This record gives sequence, C-alpha cells and structure tokens, in this order.
Amino acid sequence: MKTTCIIVEDIQIAADFLRKFCEKSELIEVKGHFLNAEDALQFLDESKVDLIFLDIEMPGASGFELLDRLTYTPRIVLTTSKTEYAFDAFQYNVNDYLKKPFTYKRFLEAIQKIQGITPGQPAPAAVIPTSTATDMEFLFIKAEDKLIKLKKDDILFLESMRDYVKFVTAGKSYVTYSTLKNMEEKLTDPNFLKVHRSYIVNITKIEDIRGNTIYVHGSQIPVGKAHKDELVGRLNIL
Amino acid sequence: MQNAPSSKFVFNGSLNAAFLDELFEGDTTYAETVFEDFLRDLPGYWKRVEAAYQSRNLHELRTCVHTCKTLFGYVGFTDLQEFCQQFEDSCVSQSPEKLTMDYNILSLKKENAQHIIENEYSRLKVFNAEHE
Repeated sequence: MKTTCIIVEDIQIAADFLRKFCEKSELIEVKGHFLNAEDALQFLDESKVDLIFLDIEMPGASGFELLDRLTYTPRIVLTTSKTEYAFDAFQYNVNDYLKKPFTYKRFLEAIQKIQGITPGQPAPAAVIPTSTATDMEFLFIKAEDKLIKLKKDDILFLESMRDYVKFVTAGKSYVTYSTLKNMEEKLTDPNFLKVHRSYIVNITKIEDIRGNTIYVHGSQIPVGKAHKDELVGRLNIL
Repeated sequence: MQNAPSSKFVFNGSLNAAFLDELFEGDTTYAETVFEDFLRDLPGYWKRVEAAYQSRNLHELRTCVHTCKTLFGYVGFTDLQEFCQQFEDSCVSQSPEKLTMDYNILSLKKENAQHIIENEYSRLKVFNAEHE
C-alpha cells in the first residue's frame, strides 16, 4: 500500500516537483497540495495522511506552527531553502529535512528512510530525539538561544504558557517554544504525569498533596478532575 | 558534412549545469516546463519584492526575496541563491543605505537571470522539438 501524503508548499514549481517525484517513486500517493498551513490544517482535521511534506516559510502560519497545532503525528519531511532550520527540524523531531531544490535521488533517500520507520513513532515536539528521549536520563530543550541539557531527575514540573512551556527545576526555570501536548507526547517517562491541562509533574518530586493541590518544592500545582484518578493510581499509596 | 544534433542539452554556463543535469535527469521536456513556469511566476513574485521595498516593509521584503531565491534554485542560479540569502540577512541587520545598494544589485541580477532563462527556455523548446 502506498504512503499517503499532502504537500504544504506555497511555491508552485516546488510543489510540482514534489508531486512529480511522488508519482515517479510509485511509493507515495499525494492526497492534496495546500498553499498555506491553515488550509492544510483544515484538511488534516478531517482526513489523516501518513506523511506531510512541509515548507516552513509560507504566507500566514509557518510550517512549525502547523506542527504545533497538529492533533496527531504523521511523518514529517521539511522542505525549505534555508539550512538554518535544520536546528529547529532537529528539535521538532521531523523525519527528514530536504533543502530546496532537491534531486529525485535525495527525495528517494528520504522516502526510504521514512518507510523504514515503524508507523506512529515520530512526533513533533521541542524536545530531542525519538525513542532515546524515553531511555536517556536527560533531554535537551531550546531556550535562551541554545540547546540546554536538563537531567530529567532535576525537572520538577512543566507548565503550559500558551505557545510556550516552562520547565521548572529547583534552581531555575526555562521557557521553550512548544505546547504541553507536544511535551506530553515526548515525555513518555513514567515519572512524568499530566495532572492538569496546564501542568505535567515529575511525580518523584511531589512532597505532599492536599485536596486538589500538589506541593512541589514550594510550588502549588492544581490537579484537574480528569487527571485525579490516574494520579492516585500512579502514587505508591500504602 | 553536417553534425547531427547533440542528444544532450547543455545548459548555459551561467547556470549550475551539473546540478540541473541531476535535477532533471535528462528530462528536457520537464526542464522546459519548469523554465516556462519560472518565467510565468517570477514577475508576480518580483512585483511583491518591489512593493515591499518601496514601502520599506523589511519583513515582507525578506519573505518575498526568500520565495524568489527558491525559484532561482530550480533553474540553476546557485550563485544568485546565495546572494538572495545574503540579502535576506541584510533585511534584518543592515543599514537602509547598504540595503538600497544591495537591492539595486539584486534587481540587476534578477533582470539578467530572467533574460538568461528566456533564452534557455527558447533553446529548450527548439531542442525538444528536434528530439521529439
């Protein structure tokens, strides 16, 4: 079965090339081409595809904004003419990054790489790498114009700030451009639990719980009704 | 004795021929289409560049030049792509005087590029007609 995709690209020549490459490969079925992120999101609200070829700089919302607003996690290949986005691509954990204009050979490499990946693995997020993020004792976040290494065990909780997320440690807080939803998908470490629509807490750092409030290192974190049962189930209550 | 027409199209020396050969993989019919599309699309994008420059909207100017840069890439203007990238950077960091100078250079380069592609498009049409 062919991999289904959409092309999000505001430059017609670039989109035509991609469509041609997809047809030539006989591996990819193009379900649509959108000139901007908004139209693509509207389509993606109603239809699912396996893969998105995504331009970054487009009129209106950028490709990264589209990634932030996705409600599921298809495979992503960024297509851009700027190498400087490679850094962000890395952070968003996209599957590949094609610098325009690219050749069929390079396109095919990206497709073969994608088709070698187990479906459902990649996810857009501002935390580094894939499965290793679960296994490693640390992670990197983009904050203060650099990648900052945080030991998972140092993180007390994460707080949503609309399009940003605050990582709170005992000594310092770091704000990164992402959403709590993305963080929730990436932080699959069992010690991190979403306890409220605006908070993910490191349950090993909880000092006490009073009513619907968690106390962590001097901070008070509300517990949402929808999350209370799961929280109680995860605590080692004797 | 007349030479038989070459079966390989040789791109203008101003273009990155090696890259174009790899991009089109000998499909000169598609190259003709792309060059035609370039000539169709560039004037519209360039109008937006001019409008942004006249209104001193540097953010818009940068975005529009970025688009043109991508277009230039598909017809093999690697050098011009680099200049566009420098111009994009200038929109953020340079003084208005330097930007004016760079804009004038970019306009000349764009004009020159357009003429080259017009010629290449004509040559491709002839070549493809001969090799149908």
